[in-house]
Amino acid sequence: MASLIEKHIVSLLAEKDDKAIALLYEHYGATLYGVAYKVVKDEDLAQDILQESFVKIWKKADSYDATKAKLFTWLFRITRNTAIDKLRSITNKSDKEVQIDVSDVYNVGVAGLNPDFLDVKENLGKIELKYQIVLEALFFQGMTQQEASEELDIPLGTIKSRLKIGLRELGKIYGTVTLLLLLIKVIL
Amino acid sequence: MKEKIQRFLETDTLEKYLLDDTTREESLKAERYIAMYPEVRKVYNELQDNLEIFAKQYAKKTPEGLKEIILHNVGRNRKATKRLYRYAVAASVAIMMLAGSAVFFWNQNQSLQQENTLVTNKMKNLEMDMKTQLEDVRNQFIVLNNPDTRKYAVRGKKEGKELKAIAYINPVKKLSYINVSNVPELPEDKCFQMWAEVNGELVNMGVIKQFDDKDKLFALPYADDGIGYITVEPKGGNVSPTVQNIVANIAYQ
Repeated sequence: MASLIEKHIVSLLAEKDDKAIALLYEHYGATLYGVAYKVVKDEDLAQDILQESFVKIWKKADSYDATKAKLFTWLFRITRNTAIDKLRSITNKSDKEVQIDVSDVYNVGVAGLNPDFLDVKENLGKIELKYQIVLEALFFQGMTQQEASEELDIPLGTIKSRLKIGLRELGKIYGTVTLLLLLIKVIL
Repeated sequence: MKEKIQRFLETDTLEKYLLDDTTREESLKAERYIAMYPEVRKVYNELQDNLEIFAKQYAKKTPEGLKEIILHNVGRNRKATKRLYRYAVAASVAIMMLAGSAVFFWNQNQSLQQENTLVTNKMKNLEMDMKTQLEDVRNQFIVLNNPDTRKYAVRGKKEGKELKAIAYINPVKKLSYINVSNVPELPEDKCFQMWAEVNGELVNMGVIKQFDDKDKLFALPYADDGIGYITVEPKGGNVSPTVQNIVANIAYQ
């Protein structure tokens, strides 16, 4: 179910009203910036990606179909793909300039994890590390499940199940914490 | 049916679709299942919610001033799009005008080419006419001036009693001409027609008009021992001479 603000933004986007961009930035800017940063691990580059993504969002506003994806899913796809494309183009460029044998694009592992990630806001991210690693590889490193399986040396079937369980666990944790927060609010 | 849905949910198509990592076929399949089966739709919506939760964990404070830069970029892009739209409209109009002009000029070209062909043909016909006429005048000159030319006075009989004509025959140059100086009045439905007998065949020489042709020399096809005839025929001429209506004959001897 789309929230009121989401519906409002969608209608503004459909009308090509630039207020939509300001609202999108206010509501999703930090998350999308975090997504871009998570992929490229560079603040300047993440800022470029966010700018590029917002221009794409504006250009593609007509093509957004609420029946196919929620607004955030659509925004996430654009930002993630822009970031992955940027990272690949940079990697390809540096591969051409300097013959580097090992790219760090897919270097995901415990060492590759952002320390911020382990200190997740409001303790919402307390899913097991094994799930986080898989979700990160798939969501932020642009790996296919097959690539993640090879890179992380985990069987494909396990990747699939960890993805499913990881996402499900997130939902559960979020639901529980939200409920707790609501209860605390009511009690106080 | 439930098994089919279960089988679909067990694949990773929905997760891949969530991340926009599907092929075209997989996307269509995912969209079909989401639209058709509430169970799949529910799972997909949950996945979307969880994706948002997951991504929000990584939310990072955006740098100061980035919002203004983004709004400026989008605004600039919007203006550029508007400008592009205006240019596109202008270009479309220009293309339409050019296309219209091209069609107009093509039509003009076609009609000019047709006209050119017509004029060329006319010129060729005129040239041929001039050559024929020049040849005729030259022959007339030869016939009238050559000492070997024999002159015959032709007089009509029957209805053409008043018909007067002079035939000029030159056996050396093998040319023969006739000048009809007086043509008697005939009923409106009749006319005089000239014939020449050449090698046993009668050749139609045409109708003698009442007034215009008095000073004109008609060329006759020459044949040794040939004979020319003038007959009275129905108005407009006949395809073969009416023998009983011969009003004059000219022997080339």
